[in-house]
Amino acid sequence: MKIDINMDENVLITDASQETKKPKIAIVSLTSCEGCQFALLDLGEKFLEAMDQVEMVDFRLLEDEGDAGEPIDIGFVEGNPMTAANKKTLMELRKRSKLLVVIGNCAAMGGIPEIRNYHEKQQTVKHVYKYIQGIETEEVQEVDNFVKVDFTFPGCPITGEEFLKYFPILLANVKGEGELPTIPDSPVCVECKKKGNRCLLLDKKPCFGPMILGGCDAVCPTSRMGCQGCRGLRPTGNVKAMKMTLKTMMTDEEFENTTEIYGLKDDIEDWESDHKEK
Amino acid sequence: MNIKINHIAKIEGHTGFMASVIRGDVKSAKFEVQEGIRLIEGILIGREYKDMPVIAQRICGICPVVHNLTAIKAIENAMKVEVTPETEKLRRVMEHAQFIHSHALHLFFLSLADFLDIENDLQLVKEYPEQTKMAVKIREYGMELIKIIGGRVVHPLTNEVGGFKKVPTIEELQALIIKGQETLPIALELAAFFKTIKTPNFSRPTEYVCLKTKGEYAIYDGDVTSNKGLFVDVQKFEENFHEFQRPKEIVKRVMRDGKTSYMVGAIARVNNNAEKLSYEAREYLKSLNFNMPDYNPFHNVLYQMVEIVHCVEDSIQLLKELTHADLEKAITKKYVVREGSAAAAVEAPRGTLYYWVDIDPKGYIKNVNIISPTAQFLTHLEDDIAAFIPGIIEKDEKAMERKMRAFIRAYDPCISCAVH
Repeated sequence: MKIDINMDENVLITDASQETKKPKIAIVSLTSCEGCQFALLDLGEKFLEAMDQVEMVDFRLLEDEGDAGEPIDIGFVEGNPMTAANKKTLMELRKRSKLLVVIGNCAAMGGIPEIRNYHEKQQTVKHVYKYIQGIETEEVQEVDNFVKVDFTFPGCPITGEEFLKYFPILLANVKGEGELPTIPDSPVCVECKKKGNRCLLLDKKPCFGPMILGGCDAVCPTSRMGCQGCRGLRPTGNVKAMKMTLKTMMTDEEFENTTEIYGLKDDIEDWESDHKEK
Repeated sequence: MNIKINHIAKIEGHTGFMASVIRGDVKSAKFEVQEGIRLIEGILIGREYKDMPVIAQRICGICPVVHNLTAIKAIENAMKVEVTPETEKLRRVMEHAQFIHSHALHLFFLSLADFLDIENDLQLVKEYPEQTKMAVKIREYGMELIKIIGGRVVHPLTNEVGGFKKVPTIEELQALIIKGQETLPIALELAAFFKTIKTPNFSRPTEYVCLKTKGEYAIYDGDVTSNKGLFVDVQKFEENFHEFQRPKEIVKRVMRDGKTSYMVGAIARVNNNAEKLSYEAREYLKSLNFNMPDYNPFHNVLYQMVEIVHCVEDSIQLLKELTHADLEKAITKKYVVREGSAAAAVEAPRGTLYYWVDIDPKGYIKNVNIISPTAQFLTHLEDDIAAFIPGIIEKDEKAMERKMRAFIRAYDPCISCAVH
């Protein structure tokens, strides 16, 4: 399928000579709620304009035709590679893509499904299913455990505007122009302050903002919802300082439970073992 | 003859379909669900109740609002937390908005091409640019409502047990009213266009189930009703509808009294509650000239259009009422965390969504059950297709496959919700 729509003039350009120059992309979904794909679709005309720059080879949400499996420039992957079929899809996507780009928390950090890794597995499965024979319930692992990842759009769901910001840089990169983008090492707090929000921590409401990678426009604290870290730790985020700040607002157990929601817990454990006082 | 569809595109989630036909007799017609299992109910156990609406809404990226709300309502019922009329009204607007944008996506971008014999949406957009714009505008209104009231479209943020963390300003509500008033004529125009599409003939009278309540078209609340005379409190849902798993199946089945498949969704709601629709929605329904009760699921798409008109018209009314209300009363007040168990249901775009939760004295979840609309209608859809196939048997298997895909999509299944 070729998405190539000019919404203003309502014309569909199908000039083959133009298309040959356009980078080819695919948006593929593994196990997830598919909300990140909707965060893209919900951009409406802005998304269609961005897609004007490319030839869409596979986007199952909008097309009935299968794709031929040709080489592509950028493969976008949403969701968790949880089943054998998911893993196969992911491997194939990596093989045919110049760049593999992860979209969203499930693919990047394990997401909601990863909570099961912290529980007694058999019990969790048995609670849901009477017949567990033939039910695939392996440990949930992030995409980068299976394939090399070139860039990650973090978040649950991703931030549509952030996608629009880095998408042209990714396109330039596959054309050999410029480096891969990097999300600046800046906490959620920077955008939160810019919005004029009153800091939730001042009201003794737990918020992970200071240690978490910004770029989400502080959407949660703006709704008076404390950051729970769906975008992951920022490179210089300080877990120890964060825990000290939160000590009067939540117990260690509550802190740990909250870090389970978006797969942040294993990253925090890694940080703590890297920063052990010698 | 075996008709196998490996992967049904343009629905939410992953599934195939397999039908086996021998000399015109349908031997089996069955979904082959390919979804990963996230064990949402299992991972909620042992967690604090506050995490439940946040986690449960992530079952579905199209309809997070209804998962979030039903989880909240079940917890409120279990802990006996009362909310203010202002909170309820804001939630109703969010529910309406959820219907508007989910239905607009489905009826136009996922299903319409099937009725126009168009292969993909690109061609659809090219041939029907005006209608595409209308569908996009209608969706935008629904999304804007959720963004302003809920804080974000996919996985909203403000809604919680007891009320709202943050409420919109009067100015924001007034801007939404204007947007709603602009959207209503667009919805009516798209509705007029949908009258011209040709849907296949099919009818199989069965049980059609939804919520019903006094004085309004039940979406946010009500008792469970059906065209076969059922009328019970939501707390008795599981006594009448039995959820079970067949060995080796990852999607659970739900049957009336454990035996019979049944239908939920827009078509069930319009069949059972048509007289409560808004004025414009009733007028539009009349103009469709369908014989009620209507048992043709292809018409589900048109009933979704009826509901879009209803939800746009009714949301404007609700917003107007909210501009005269003291919205501070919707902000969450202190409540008591206590032990209890209870059920709750709302109408999701695809049908009745049911939650049940059991909470311990400290507010930790002991047990939970979630029954989605797609899990409820999946067996009914298989039964419908088994009845549909004999009428469409022809040499060209591809053509048959297309007709089956169209039927499946008219139901608007969400496999992510069905296997959660």
